[in-house]
Amino acid sequence: MTSALGERLRAVVGAEHLADGASAAVDGVAPRFVARPANVAEVSRLLGLAHAEGLAVAPRGAGTAQGLGNPPTRLDLVIELGRLNRVVEYEPADVTVSVEAGMTLDDLERVLGKHRQVLPLDPPGWRARTVGGVLATNASGPWRFRYGTGRDALLGVRFVQADGTVTWGGSRVVKSVTGYDIPKLLTGALGTLGVIVETTLRLHPSPECERSWLLGFASLDLARGCLAALLDSALQPSRVEIVNAGTLAALGEPVTAAALAVSIASVDAAVAAEGAELDRLARAAGGGARQLADDVWERYGSLFAGARGVRLRLACLATSVTELVALVDALAHRHGLGARVGGCAGLGALTAVLEGECAPDAWEPAILGPLRDRLEGEGGSVIVEQCPLALKERIDVWGPVDPQALALIRRIKTEFDPTGVLNPGRFVSRL
Amino acid sequence: MTRPATVAARLGAFSGPDLPDPDGLRSCVHCGICLPQCPTYQILGEEMDSPRGRLYLVRAAAEGRLDITPTFTRHLDLCLGCRACETACPSGVPFGRLLEATRGQIERRGRGPARRALETLIFGLFPHPRRLGPALRLLALYQRSGLQSLVRARGLLRPFPRLRAMEQLLAAVPRVGRLPALVPAVGARRGRVGLLTGCVQRLLYPQVNAETARLLSRAGWDVVIPAGQGCCGALHLHGGRLDEFRRLAGALAQAFPEALDHLVVNAAGCGSAIREYGHWLGEAAPAAALARKTRDVTELLVNADLPLRPVEAVATYHDACHLVHGQGIRSAPRALLARIPGLRLVELPESDLCCGSAGVYNLLEPQMADRLLERKVDNIAATGATLLVAGNPGCLLQIAKGCRARGLVVEVLHPVEVLARAVGP
Amino acid sequence: MPLSPAVIPELRRLLGPDGLVVTPEGRMTYECDMHTFYKGTPELVALPRTTAQVMELVRLCRRERVAVIPRGSGTGLIGGATAPQGGIMISTTRMNEILEIDLANRSATVQAGLINVWLSNAVRDRGYFFAPDPSSQMVSSIGGNASTNAGGPHCLKYGVTVNHVLGLEVVTGAGELARLGGKVADRAGYDLTGVTVGSEGTLGIVTAVTVRLLHTPEGVRTALAAFASIEDASEAVSAIIAAGIVPAALEMLDAAIIRAINEGIHAGYPTGAAAVLLIELDGPQAEVAAQAERVAAICRDHRPLAIRVATTEAERTLLWKGRKEAAGVLGRMTANWLLQDAVVPRSKLPAIMREVAAIAARHQLLIANVFHAGDGNLHPLICYDERRPGERERAIQANEELLAACIALGGSVTGEHGVGVDKAKNLPKQYAPADLNFMARLRRAWDPDNIMNPGKLLPSHPACGEGLRVGAPVRIPSGAWV
Repeated sequence: MTSALGERLRAVVGAEHLADGASAAVDGVAPRFVARPANVAEVSRLLGLAHAEGLAVAPRGAGTAQGLGNPPTRLDLVIELGRLNRVVEYEPADVTVSVEAGMTLDDLERVLGKHRQVLPLDPPGWRARTVGGVLATNASGPWRFRYGTGRDALLGVRFVQADGTVTWGGSRVVKSVTGYDIPKLLTGALGTLGVIVETTLRLHPSPECERSWLLGFASLDLARGCLAALLDSALQPSRVEIVNAGTLAALGEPVTAAALAVSIASVDAAVAAEGAELDRLARAAGGGARQLADDVWERYGSLFAGARGVRLRLACLATSVTELVALVDALAHRHGLGARVGGCAGLGALTAVLEGECAPDAWEPAILGPLRDRLEGEGGSVIVEQCPLALKERIDVWGPVDPQALALIRRIKTEFDPTGVLNPGRFVSRL
Repeated sequence: MTRPATVAARLGAFSGPDLPDPDGLRSCVHCGICLPQCPTYQILGEEMDSPRGRLYLVRAAAEGRLDITPTFTRHLDLCLGCRACETACPSGVPFGRLLEATRGQIERRGRGPARRALETLIFGLFPHPRRLGPALRLLALYQRSGLQSLVRARGLLRPFPRLRAMEQLLAAVPRVGRLPALVPAVGARRGRVGLLTGCVQRLLYPQVNAETARLLSRAGWDVVIPAGQGCCGALHLHGGRLDEFRRLAGALAQAFPEALDHLVVNAAGCGSAIREYGHWLGEAAPAAALARKTRDVTELLVNADLPLRPVEAVATYHDACHLVHGQGIRSAPRALLARIPGLRLVELPESDLCCGSAGVYNLLEPQMADRLLERKVDNIAATGATLLVAGNPGCLLQIAKGCRARGLVVEVLHPVEVLARAVGP
Repeated sequence: MPLSPAVIPELRRLLGPDGLVVTPEGRMTYECDMHTFYKGTPELVALPRTTAQVMELVRLCRRERVAVIPRGSGTGLIGGATAPQGGIMISTTRMNEILEIDLANRSATVQAGLINVWLSNAVRDRGYFFAPDPSSQMVSSIGGNASTNAGGPHCLKYGVTVNHVLGLEVVTGAGELARLGGKVADRAGYDLTGVTVGSEGTLGIVTAVTVRLLHTPEGVRTALAAFASIEDASEAVSAIIAAGIVPAALEMLDAAIIRAINEGIHAGYPTGAAAVLLIELDGPQAEVAAQAERVAAICRDHRPLAIRVATTEAERTLLWKGRKEAAGVLGRMTANWLLQDAVVPRSKLPAIMREVAAIAARHQLLIANVFHAGDGNLHPLICYDERRPGERERAIQANEELLAACIALGGSVTGEHGVGVDKAKNLPKQYAPADLNFMARLRRAWDPDNIMNPGKLLPSHPACGEGLRVGAPVRIPSGAWV
């Protein structure tokens, strides 16, 4: 049986692109095979086969975010998209690009950089990540404050449905309302409705100049005051991150209770003028601004990428960020954990990495419960992006989802993948 | 001959002379920019009580898709004719003229008995100073005798909202003196103007006419005030009584001498209607020549060389629909008030939203008129002003009534009265 | 299925005595949106004030198996708010409250019927604005903007409505109330907010919207550049975009539109130019100043007739009033019109404008242009007079050719107006049957009985959707205009 399946998969991708699945386990569940298709047609044939055979499939980009999601209930085949790494169309004057989903953001940056353009998706460890993976996991970084997230960048998407049907949604131009916004549906869907194989993306001109400052504060209250003043000002920062003492220490920066890391991107004269205004704001709020080295954002990202320990994605109101940083610090301290917290203060999108010894059974009552209780009232959430398997088996990594929204999500999933080919068990409510 | 030759014709459900202009109807592109400007749409939020919806109904009738039904008539009756939609319209739809022509069609079809009786009363009184005068003297007696307090206290008119509306409008009827036929210019002479004394203005706000004449003469104008002048026909025009309107317009043109630089009007509704003479009577008619000379009093006084003393007050200005929308006069009255030292002018929110007066609308549609008045008074109260200034007697009556009912201590004045205080005796 | 008269008393109990339009005359005024070519009279019009009433309405419609047609201010250009299959129209005009303004979190929540510009008016004094600015913004509702994912001149820099919608309250076709997204935008699960925006009322009816507010930029500069040919103007647009400048808005108007705007709005646009660019830059003062110089230099490289910079807020307002009310001046230009909303990649703008001119010449028609040049979002306005024999047919033919040319250049059928009834038949030009089938199935997940705005957004051709019930044929207006 297995060998017969192997034959048929080999017939699609070729022997050298089909591997045994033992090394590609997701949360301890090893697939039987890993296939590395060369093009969209091969992805389609693989999924057609999987659908007919009742196989469970996990799509995979660079594999950097395989820890996201609940453990799969079944897994037979991992489709790894690294060979779909071509630029399909790039006309710089359009300020858009169409690329295959397996291309890494690092490779894409090299293509776009020649024309002084940028795809402003910068989640932790972004260089190694693929376009498709970043979109499917809706990963974001500091630049989201100015440029938004994957939902704002993805104009058109080609994807392969659970039964192998190749489907296109959206358009190749910057503005289109022709039919439903399928790109939005696929963004952050963790491949549960289809495997993203090609994308058309909105680009931005690279800023002529971008400089960053660290605004340190002796207390979170002072940081909160400065953040409110900054957000209520006419300044147009490209990044507004809040970081806790743990993150400052890891960065090798002077440790204060909290700090804001703010970038301004514009023409030289505007950056200088806004930098001065930023300094004034920081002083008025009882802190000070110090310019940061240009490589700070790469180092910052690496603190939250890969990483061991438990990584949380926290969503809250902008007005709650300082309080939430304080709460994470307090909970970590109480349970003897180290905490690095950072994230977009202007939009309330934080990441926390907790390291140290904590029994798997203790996480829910000690950390997750209190955080989720705090955020429930304002519509916030805590997603466990990465954690040891022993912990993952005891929690729901996604947390609760609004029942009405969940009913719709279930109906949509059932409509498109009734037999559970795509990532079964991994998405919200273990769909 | 005061009326252009019209050929009897049919246009869908419409017939006879004075058809709504098909090109005017066609120029509406249904964009809806007029909707938020329409008082009845703001209150009701219904398409058929918006300018776009009303035009759509008229157009459907013109296409023969709809007859002049009671519901059709109802939605057109509910229109205030404020023409705020015309100000908003980028396509230049002549809404006022289309409305008046359509009302003409409705009138020709005839009305139900209740409405007919009311119209007979209103049109039998208002445009006829000789009848309105005695009626108001009776009313004055009614007020002074204490009967009014009794009626109001007992709520005797509550079951009759339209009569009640009429009764409530009247605060105190002043005693009226007669103006001379000529008030000569004082100082350097600038020219010669005629003064329209109006029907309501003459009887209820005689001091506005007197001050208008005095200030104009102080500004260097000879002011001619023919004693025999009649009604301008504004109420008839807005009510769709087009034949009577033409007759009155022709007579008014006869009453004024030809050698005038301007015809000065201090009632927005009259000025707006007079400016329509050319359209309804033909540009060659003497009435059209009079129309071309017509100016609102604020247009003439805004730059007049008058000595001004301070008037210490906080004032706010209400745009009478038939000034701002009917005649496009928005800045002159404000500029005039702004010249007065000591007077602090605060902008009235929704200043160009109708107060509900709209000619005799507040008598015919008291419920809608009251809802608009409530909103107007809310806005006035929010400014904290102690003077409310408006350039139309209907608005002055209506707003004064609203402020009285609310217990809001605000003096309601015509711009000319405020200017007169600054100029002094 | 025709509506049972028995529901009227039930609806009156639900909505109150003034909450239902039943008269033929009243209903007639709801038979079309701005695209008056498409008509379909609702059997009833409901005027709810609360979300609870809307939920009861949709449940009743589902029970009775009648269509639900959501309607905002009725300013759409696609026949989206029409009832070709009858049913109950739900007008949101009375649902126009601002529910919350939370400037600290830069967001507001409003009822669906709130007029777009009223929100900006409410926060302007405090230095904020709501970015989506469709030309209809002085009358269109935010619920309608969300349902059609409206664009506008300033979406070049700020993005379209969906980029500013954080959350929605929506009653689905199943009659369920769903609160999607919210002030905290990131949620686990599918981006249902993003999918609902632009769904034209076919998934559910939007009852409230939570939007992002932006801080007013420090500096704004608005300028007009006039050119002797549309081609020069188009080349200038492509050059500005290619130079890495993102103006707040970059609009083009041609001679025919300029003439009508000057007549109707007295905006004082330069006469004698074949095309005018309206260019607005905003942001930090220093950035605006630097970019203004570069934009001016690019314009100068393209043989401008004149460049004029607005020096006062009044001048700026007047320039924008001319642009914003351009759709409204149509009545001055033509008896009848067809309006395109296709998009081309920005680098293809000069090519498509040459094609527009060629098509106009070929069919001997006036095609006027006023559009979002910076986005490549065309609005060719094909003018005709149906009283002249053959002109209507030529206009339709020109329309088809123009759309085909845009699609051939890699474009999209509609950039911001939406699909509605008008463009449903064109979707197969942009999408394969499998793509359309996916959309039809998505719709079914929300609206199992196909009661939500049936006949809109998706073509009803059987090949396009196994899950789609084919509705009754669209009724075309009875009788032409006199």
